[in-house]
Amino acid sequence: MPDIAFLALSGLVIISAIFALEARELIYGAVGLAFSLIGVAGLFILLGAEYVAMFQVSVYVGAVVVLILFTIMLVRRESGRILDEEEPGRLGRAGILVAGLVALAVAGAVLLLVPVSLGAPEFPHVSLQELGRLLASSYAIALVILGLLVGATIVGGLTLVKVEREEKSTGATQ
Amino acid sequence: MGLDVWSLFAIFEVVVFLVAFPLLVFGWLMGARGKNPIRDAPFESGQTHLGEARQRYMMQYYPYLIMFIVFDVVAMFLFTWGLAFSGMSSSQNYLFLIFIAILVAPLGYASYLAGKRELW
Amino acid sequence: MVTLLQAAPAPQEIISLILRIITSRTFLEIVFFPGFLNVMISAAFLTWLERKVIARVQLRIGPLYAGFSGIFQPIADGVKLIFKETIFPELADTKLLMLCALGLMMLAFAPAVAIPFGEGLVIANMDVGLVYVFAVMSLFPSVILLIGWGSNSKYSLLGGLRSLFQQVAYEIPMWFSVLGIVMLTGTLNLTKIVEAQQRLWFVVPQVLGFAVFFTAALAELERTPFDLPEAETELVMGWMTELSGVPFMMGFLAMYTKLYVMSALMTALFLGGWSGPGLLPQPVWFLLKTFLVASVIVVIRGTFPRVRVDILLRTGWTRLLLLALANVFVTVALISLGLDWVWRI
Repeated sequence: MPDIAFLALSGLVIISAIFALEARELIYGAVGLAFSLIGVAGLFILLGAEYVAMFQVSVYVGAVVVLILFTIMLVRRESGRILDEEEPGRLGRAGILVAGLVALAVAGAVLLLVPVSLGAPEFPHVSLQELGRLLASSYAIALVILGLLVGATIVGGLTLVKVEREEKSTGATQ
Repeated sequence: MGLDVWSLFAIFEVVVFLVAFPLLVFGWLMGARGKNPIRDAPFESGQTHLGEARQRYMMQYYPYLIMFIVFDVVAMFLFTWGLAFSGMSSSQNYLFLIFIAILVAPLGYASYLAGKRELW
Repeated sequence: MVTLLQAAPAPQEIISLILRIITSRTFLEIVFFPGFLNVMISAAFLTWLERKVIARVQLRIGPLYAGFSGIFQPIADGVKLIFKETIFPELADTKLLMLCALGLMMLAFAPAVAIPFGEGLVIANMDVGLVYVFAVMSLFPSVILLIGWGSNSKYSLLGGLRSLFQQVAYEIPMWFSVLGIVMLTGTLNLTKIVEAQQRLWFVVPQVLGFAVFFTAALAELERTPFDLPEAETELVMGWMTELSGVPFMMGFLAMYTKLYVMSALMTALFLGGWSGPGLLPQPVWFLLKTFLVASVIVVIRGTFPRVRVDILLRTGWTRLLLLALANVFVTVALISLGLDWVWRI
């Protein structure tokens, strides 16, 4: 019997994502995204990656969604609503039908050809203390590159602030 | 009962929900009295409100949000370092210290910019 | 993993199952202590404590009539708010606001699950307890922003934005300030962190970390001197301006619940948690220390003026962050000198 928690969390992820795509207001879309990402964090927990799950919540839902919300709020209110969409025409409906059939075909092929069990997979359990050691040894190069990337991003952000302030104080673009 | 920690967390949240949700419903039902333009206006200390409420406030601070995302990810890696710190060899520690140094340099730059007030 | 939902008992056994659940230690822990009722009553108690302490600081008396020295004032406030009409501005997003009020309550109570109130007295002894608490705290800015936006009021939106930037700015120093503790103990489990302080509390070697954490916590809690989002002379009630009745009660309660939870966290992280001479039971020591921390925070509210927003953000991002990193290096030095045996049991 498949794990109820897995089904519930997967349902949360998918339904929230659909809601985020179909919502009339962009703000609701961002909220749907937030719920979807929380569901993903729950899936991480089911896989035993609690540490990653916590930072998934903290980085994605706590920071990225906040940035998205802030950006939406800066857009003027009239365009905050998605304009009325037309009903998909005949071509559109045929397209949806084809997309659905293709999805079914792919899913069927995967289920038949690849040995898939519906329970949680066996995962190698890495203790938290191991993570740091692994990062410094096996993934050392990746860590340094990541550090450089992050440093560049910070400098970029600061430069943006500096440029904007300079534009404001001089009063004209240069 | 031998439940794992996340089930306990879920149960606790359900308990909070079971208290909060009926309270909200109760409060909503207690009041509903119909529309009244004076009561329903946003509060502006007695003045009638003018202009859009949703404007571009505090937009100049948005780089802070970007930096927050960046430092959030950094914190994730730093915590893995902190957890493994006592068990790691010194060369591995130096690697993480290089990582921190790469990040502290822009932070120093930020402090320097902060000193020049008009730019921060 | 959620084994509870997979069992399907017969009807006759349900009653005995319910009885077994209600009397089980887990249930008692979750509902009474250190769970829901503990947090709820403590948060309400803190509203009373704050009003009394602030009153004394301002040479007043504070609540006086509801019970002895006004101790039942929070109950009176709660009952009053429940029966008040839930009014939202005409163009405000009612569903969103109600959802966010609910979310605030659930978020504010969430960290209490992982905080140990005594040896073995923790609802969910998470191995990632510390980052779990921080992850929950990081969800507040988005909820508050949504409330500020959904209220469709200039005061609310400004308050929400200020709160967002303030909390975002001070979350990073808060995280870095506990890095020292993580290095000394090698675990994120809050119970183990408390146990590691048997010989010496972390407030001693991690003075810098504690100072940074305390300051950052004040900003997270939106308390003076960081109460810009709620600046009474400027923004009425900040992002809570347009909340009324039960949603307001939840916002208000969420703030004091956060205060309680953060004080408890500080006690567990820096002040040795439940440790103390055996005269009193462990939870009592924990509560005493927690309320001491909360009282200090309340006194600070009555004593300091408010910080301006750009200074606030600048200080959080530069000075406080550098102090937290300095604390990390102090800890590295400590461990290199081999002094970390003090905290390894």
